[in-house]
Amino acid sequence: MSAAFAETIQLRFLCWDGDDAMKAIWAAAESFEKAHPNIKVKVETVTANYQDKLLAQVAAGIAPDVVQLDPASFQKYSIRKAIIPLNDFIKKTHFKIEDYYPNIVEAHSLNGQMYVLPRDIAPISIIYYNKRAFDEAGIPYPDGTWTWDFKERPELREKDFIWVCHQLTKFDKSHRPYRWGFAPGWQDLLWNEFALSAGGRWADDYKTPTKIRFDDPITMKSIQYVADLTLKNRWIPTPTEITSVLQSNSRQMFTQEKVAMYQSGIWEVPNMRRDLVKGKPGFFDWDITIAPAYKDGTRAYPTGGSGYGITANSKHPYEAWLLTSWMAGEPGMKEMVKTGLAQPAIMKLAQSEPWIPGPNTPDDQQYPKNRIVTHQSVPYVVFGPLGTEWPDASGIATAAFSRIWDGSAQAKDIIPKDNARAQERLDYLLNQGRLPEFNWTIASVCGFALVAMLMCWIYWPERKVRRTHKQKKENRIAYLFIMPWILGVLLFTAGPMLLSLLMSFSDWDIIQPAKWRGAGNYVEAFTFDPRFWTSLKVTLLYTVFAVPLGLAASLALALLLNVKVRGIPVWRTCYYLPSVASGVASSLIWRRIFMPDGGLLNAIIYGPSGKGNFLGLASLLHPFTTNGEPVNWLGNEHVALPALTIMSLWGAGGGMILLLAGLQNVPTYLYEAAVLDGAGPFKRFRNVTVPMISPALFFSLITGFIGTFQTFTQALLMTDGGPNDSTLFFAYHMWRSGFLSLRMGYASALAWVLFVVVLIFTVAQLKMSKWVYYEGESR
Amino acid sequence: MSQLTHEDARKAAQRAELSAKLTRAFILLVLFIGAIAFIIPYYVTLAMSFKDQSEVATTSMWSWPKNFSFENYVTVLTNRNVVFWMLFKNTVFITSLVTIGTLFSCSLGAYAFGRLEFAGKDRLFLVLIGTMMLPGMVTMIPGYVLYAKIHWVNTFLPLIVPAFFGSAFNIFLLRQFFKGIPRELDEAAFLDGASHWTVFSRVLVPLSGPALATVGIFTFMGAWRDLVGPILYLNDADKQTLEVGLRTYAALQGEKWNLMMTGSVLVSIPIIILFFVGQRYFVKGIVMTGIK
Repeated sequence: MSAAFAETIQLRFLCWDGDDAMKAIWAAAESFEKAHPNIKVKVETVTANYQDKLLAQVAAGIAPDVVQLDPASFQKYSIRKAIIPLNDFIKKTHFKIEDYYPNIVEAHSLNGQMYVLPRDIAPISIIYYNKRAFDEAGIPYPDGTWTWDFKERPELREKDFIWVCHQLTKFDKSHRPYRWGFAPGWQDLLWNEFALSAGGRWADDYKTPTKIRFDDPITMKSIQYVADLTLKNRWIPTPTEITSVLQSNSRQMFTQEKVAMYQSGIWEVPNMRRDLVKGKPGFFDWDITIAPAYKDGTRAYPTGGSGYGITANSKHPYEAWLLTSWMAGEPGMKEMVKTGLAQPAIMKLAQSEPWIPGPNTPDDQQYPKNRIVTHQSVPYVVFGPLGTEWPDASGIATAAFSRIWDGSAQAKDIIPKDNARAQERLDYLLNQGRLPEFNWTIASVCGFALVAMLMCWIYWPERKVRRTHKQKKENRIAYLFIMPWILGVLLFTAGPMLLSLLMSFSDWDIIQPAKWRGAGNYVEAFTFDPRFWTSLKVTLLYTVFAVPLGLAASLALALLLNVKVRGIPVWRTCYYLPSVASGVASSLIWRRIFMPDGGLLNAIIYGPSGKGNFLGLASLLHPFTTNGEPVNWLGNEHVALPALTIMSLWGAGGGMILLLAGLQNVPTYLYEAAVLDGAGPFKRFRNVTVPMISPALFFSLITGFIGTFQTFTQALLMTDGGPNDSTLFFAYHMWRSGFLSLRMGYASALAWVLFVVVLIFTVAQLKMSKWVYYEGESR
Repeated sequence: MSQLTHEDARKAAQRAELSAKLTRAFILLVLFIGAIAFIIPYYVTLAMSFKDQSEVATTSMWSWPKNFSFENYVTVLTNRNVVFWMLFKNTVFITSLVTIGTLFSCSLGAYAFGRLEFAGKDRLFLVLIGTMMLPGMVTMIPGYVLYAKIHWVNTFLPLIVPAFFGSAFNIFLLRQFFKGIPRELDEAAFLDGASHWTVFSRVLVPLSGPALATVGIFTFMGAWRDLVGPILYLNDADKQTLEVGLRTYAALQGEKWNLMMTGSVLVSIPIIILFFVGQRYFVKGIVMTGIK
């Protein structure tokens, strides 16, 4: 070979797979390197914030050569030319794309160009069922011929899915189900499947939606039907019980025999094998089957799936293609299949061992037997509506679904109205018109002018000040002391802040050059965006309650933990622990605490009998419940925000430390003097403690407000902004606008609106800071 | 008569002692009940870290492990895909430099803002607070592009270097404490001909133990538990930090809660130790104990 070939090329490969799949990826990458000695592969895995990181890398022009994408995410890169079409490579290398499921290839294509080589497909058509439950009920195991209708059809017996759900549900004496018949993997899965198979579609064109159709009669009927099965028949658990934002609880409900069947994708299998081990306590026999067809035999299933694409900034697109076709081709997928995680998009592999258990399959991988249903489901998969504008607009139509789930509204009464509002939003987003290029010369001039104005404002009061020699020296020394901070601001902070301010006047999608939008973003925020005011209200409400409550809790803790009792460091640590626990772990735990049935909080309020009334809280919460059920903390739009406020109090440990530090600065002699003057404990607290720790309190207050106004993680980890946008924090709305809808210009405008709001709050507090006492100032 | 007064005094002393004892008992009771509520999330984390996957799946989250086992710890500490000790080493390196840098740069800045007079001080202070008010997510992409331009991406530099240039939060915090320290001592030092640097390093810093410990704990914990920064700026598997690496166990659709919780416990141990140690500095300085 020529000398140029001897040069080693390095390719970067980015995927979102975790622990198990990673082993398969590394093995495949290694075999690729062996087969292509001149190419080195660097595998990078990102299991959290994948899209944010990829966007940042694309924006900086340093994205990896090959990246994992899925039908929902590739479009935003392909229409902005950040990833390249693969058709030419397929032709050039005579790659056998016909080996792949044609509808999956189609799902990764746009306008006749394929952008992502599909790797796996995950029809969410798998119903895991507990054989013991079927045996006990005397029902034959499902054979894949289930149908469903908008009513139970007892005459069909075990052929009717709804009848089976009914039969498998078990009620206790007070008619509360202790085992449900069926649970969908997450909230929307069941109505999606019902509506799709009955012919409902909620967008006119799933690739480039222009019309939102949640008001389609079949779709509305399906939504209402699922709500009825949950609330009236109670054969299915409520949405809050089955879902959390991060993971599905359905599997756990299944393994704990709280549901007899649950529906999800095949990816649950490795977990199921680990969960239910023959011979260990809690084991029962299980298998999978295909989800039901509509009564006329029509099948349709939502689906997941992903593949690999090549970025436009790759310097070696051809080699990147070799890697892509290796990893998503037979060599890579053979490794992946062994993990049991991902159903290959290559038809041959999806129908043979080891994906389908056979005589050579090891014992522990024999479960589940009926794996061929994964292959049988593929022709019926329907990918969700795509398009960058879709999440923003459709969210308006679906926000109030929570009211249907908790029974406070009927689908037909609320959906048409919300659908119309969503349509308005979609029309608005689609009709942005052509905008002029962003003029960087003018922007830079404006930027410099702004900085100059800021400098003038800072030093304006100095114009008449005359300093003595000593003062001049102090001035010079002071600037030496703050020099690191000033340099830091100039080097790392000022540039990005200024840029975001300029971008707030632009239409910027992170990937392509910005367009000039004038004051358009601000006008949109204040007039057109229905969620702007909602989210501002949510944030204000939360801040107004959470900050004072949090400060009070921190102060109480600090005072309690400042006494001299044995083992005080241990006590302090106990109270600091919640701040130490990891965010993901705590959000999992908090969801369980807030669960309506069997949640810890409700167990305290309602007692074990369910009839208790701890501190009168049950009566207080009564207006927010339906049919005398326990209150559904995270599922009810009236109590979700209070629930998050309660949760925030567990973070009081941080504030406690700060105030404890402040309490060490209270001189003992002041207390002694106060006691001599006959001051009681309250007076001592009011007149000695508070003034002496007022600098720390003031700091807590100011930074508390600033931080709480930017609250974001709670919504991301706990509620996804719901129910009905009741926890849609301003910063969360901003994040979704910027990173999900790729409207960074608009997000910047929102950020600067927030900046002004916080600034007003802070300046008001600074003006009212007479109560703060500084010992060092009383000269 | 005097006998009686003596008796009275004794009784009063006894009463005072009793009431002090009662108060103490009451405080302990309140502390105990509160502590239970605050420990619960950590209890679940700890309990789950000692259960195997099938026990996590088939029993209640609140139960104490039936088959108590250290297997999860062995798995996490020896997993060759997520090399714990390498992640640990990276995290210690980044975190200690960030903590040192922050303590140094922020106490300098706080001294100027808290104790000195200079041109534009009040308005610069507002600028300082102002830099905290803009949500980081809109400066994230511009910041990333900036670091990419100077080839800092995939190095520890974007995570460490800014710490040496001060952070608004900590400068503000320390300024509050510096302003609360009486001026007598520094004035005495100035009379002895001390420079500002001497006053800063020999008077102010030694008197600010609790405040500096607070900044140290906050900063250490923030850097130790930072997720977004390392995810964004570090690409290579061998450069990752603990918080990022252990997130692998919570990967979508393949979450292993027992390992996730084990990781969470392991990550928290150094913070807890530091918190214990840091509390030693939570004592009153000499000026506060009564010499005046």
